[in-house]
Amino acid sequence: MAGSKGREGEMLESIYSVLALVFILVACVELGDAATVVDVYRLIQYDLAGVPFGSRLASLNHHAGSLPFAPGADLSRTVVIIPFREVNITFLRDYIMQRQPLGGLLLLLPQNISSESREEAEEGDRNNGKELIRSELAELEKLLVHVNIPYPVYFAFEDDKITAVLADVKTNDATGQPATATTGGYKLVVSTPEPKKLASPTITNIQGWLPGLKADGDVNQLPTIAIVASYDTFGAAPALSVGSDSNGSGVVALLEIARLFSLLYSNPKTRGRYNLLFGLTSGGPYNYNGTFKWLQSFDQRLRESIDYAICLNSIGSWDDELWIHVSKPPENAYIKQVFESFSSVAEELGVKIGLKHKKINVSNPRVAWEHEQFSKSRVTAVTLSELSVAPELLESTGGLSDSRHFVNGIAVSRSVKLVAESLARHIYGHQGKNIQIFADGSSLAVNPFYIQSWLDLMSQTPRVAPFLPKNDPFILALKKELADHTAEVNVQHEALDGIFTFYDLTKASLNIYQVASVTFDLLLLLVLGSYLIILFSFLVITTRGLDDLISLFRRPPSRKVKMA
Amino acid sequence: MTVFHFFNCAILTFGPHAVYYSATPLSEYDTIGTSVKAATVYLGTALVKLVCLATFLKVPENDSFDPYQELLKALIGFIDVAGLYFALTQLTHRNISQNHKFQAVGLGWAFADSVLHRLAPLWVRARGLEFTWEYILQGLEANANLVLTISLAALGSLMWLRKNKPRALVPIIYACAGILATMPSITSYLRRGLGWHLPKVVGFELFASLMMAFISWQLFSACQKPSA
Repeated sequence: MAGSKGREGEMLESIYSVLALVFILVACVELGDAATVVDVYRLIQYDLAGVPFGSRLASLNHHAGSLPFAPGADLSRTVVIIPFREVNITFLRDYIMQRQPLGGLLLLLPQNISSESREEAEEGDRNNGKELIRSELAELEKLLVHVNIPYPVYFAFEDDKITAVLADVKTNDATGQPATATTGGYKLVVSTPEPKKLASPTITNIQGWLPGLKADGDVNQLPTIAIVASYDTFGAAPALSVGSDSNGSGVVALLEIARLFSLLYSNPKTRGRYNLLFGLTSGGPYNYNGTFKWLQSFDQRLRESIDYAICLNSIGSWDDELWIHVSKPPENAYIKQVFESFSSVAEELGVKIGLKHKKINVSNPRVAWEHEQFSKSRVTAVTLSELSVAPELLESTGGLSDSRHFVNGIAVSRSVKLVAESLARHIYGHQGKNIQIFADGSSLAVNPFYIQSWLDLMSQTPRVAPFLPKNDPFILALKKELADHTAEVNVQHEALDGIFTFYDLTKASLNIYQVASVTFDLLLLLVLGSYLIILFSFLVITTRGLDDLISLFRRPPSRKVKMA
Repeated sequence: MTVFHFFNCAILTFGPHAVYYSATPLSEYDTIGTSVKAATVYLGTALVKLVCLATFLKVPENDSFDPYQELLKALIGFIDVAGLYFALTQLTHRNISQNHKFQAVGLGWAFADSVLHRLAPLWVRARGLEFTWEYILQGLEANANLVLTISLAALGSLMWLRKNKPRALVPIIYACAGILATMPSITSYLRRGLGWHLPKVVGFELFASLMMAFISWQLFSACQKPSA
């Protein structure tokens, strides 16, 4: 008896546990998915020497609202959606500076600057519109990157779904009722964990070495010429910072120059008596930290053998004028030599070249040009750029405004030709002679397809250094490409210097739900309740009679009376 | 759209069954056993139908109305009728009158149908944040289905359990039973062939169910007169 009872008890227990498990499983079923899911990109979050900048939050769960704000409205639980063309920079700046509360900000960028857009670049009117967009984007980026925003800020590209949602939100807002929990509307949800600090971000420098021709019996070290470009970017939205011009154009030009000279150097008869050192450095936006570390790693002999270095920075969107920036005074013999070789080639190509001198202020940690790091290590260096003024910290670092549409392959080709011819004249000693080595149509012509395809690749790869892991496929691709053109490739991994701290979470999925208000639910409950009551009464009346219905409400006769 | 909405849709879908049971004399005569047995028969019928559908039907490429497929589906739908026949005639019920037997069977049948077809989608989707009218319409459909099933059970009991029927009414009874049995095919034709939207289809179902209920009620009372 006791045994069977025991077994029964066990069976009941197991049934209960199975039921409990089923209930838990059922309760954990994913809640229904949203009608609209959009890819959004978060504003960067970083600390500079401990001071916080950028958007400090990531997760979002509020109602959608739009401009213009209703006066006196409480927006601390509203996400405001602003399309780019409605952005008023002064209004935004005042709003952020005054630290007004806001649930979140969603900025919609025009579709034609997205890397997925396949619009062909057209001349004429389009250019004016594009230039305007570019400058406005740059201004917006500058504002957002240098302030501390205590709520989530996201970027998204305008498409049909989100435009429809925005139109709906605008009509709702126009009726004077901002969306809250009781009036329905749209709810924007981004569910992500809290953003965490990125521990020890790495910067990776890639160098390629093309040795020159050493004559028999020559024991001295051959002189070296270095060509350097930094490849990483920084922008308001790290997942969108593709930096096509800054400095994708420089990287592509460096690769093409490496390809041309590897062709020349492959044949000992045409190999020059100079070594060529190609450097792709990282850490550009952060005062060229990577270049500094790269130079530190140099052998003393190598450093002393470098005749001069050419740094390439933003050479993709110029028309007819380029600048050579130097830190040594222009009267310096080496600088004069370099500038002359450049200007003679430039004249033949119909390009204007100017010389700009900016002294290095040793006490100022700001390094505006890459050549300044070389100069600090006593190496003669110049920077070739379309920019005439030195950029500020975190400016012109390839952000939102720097997409594929704003750079053109022809400018890059011309820059490649300029640099390659100047180098060749210096290496082969053809100063002053009008000899074109990389003539169009020859086997050494600048290859526009190579440039286009690499520009396209650069424009699809966001390259913010802290978010590029050591063995990122892009870095490996650069290494392989350089290895194809040079004899020896070295990769150097370093840690980014301490004053910058970055936080993760650059990309997320935004769910847009259309929600009904609580009043709607209550109303529905009321309607259903009355429906069921009416149904009940109807059925009682038809099947049992009206008396029964009334008797339901009458109290049963008390027992006392019955007993009596 | 939140648990509140789920609760609302649930009481719309399953409430009427409970109300029907408690409001009519079914609760007085404690016919829950009959309803449970009818529900079990429905389960069995559904399984058989599933197997037949899987064996004989092709997966449709597009959402258009294919007459042959629909004909096959209608034929398979008659398995439903066979199931009802089994539930009404073959099962041993406690001693309850004809009147209440068909109601109990119809109720149990409709409840099982609602639970099987509508509970799972309701639980999974209606608790999300996104609001749609779909589940309210589904609840209305469940209501219409309840009325239709009870009418079909009434006609079924007329056809198989009552021996003396007025001659003239017999073909009408069979015709109405036929219409009720093919109701799923009719709604599917409306949805796919004519392209009606869900609210329109649900409206049609409600209207048709009320009409058929009225007709069955008249037929039932007409057949009851001789024995009265």
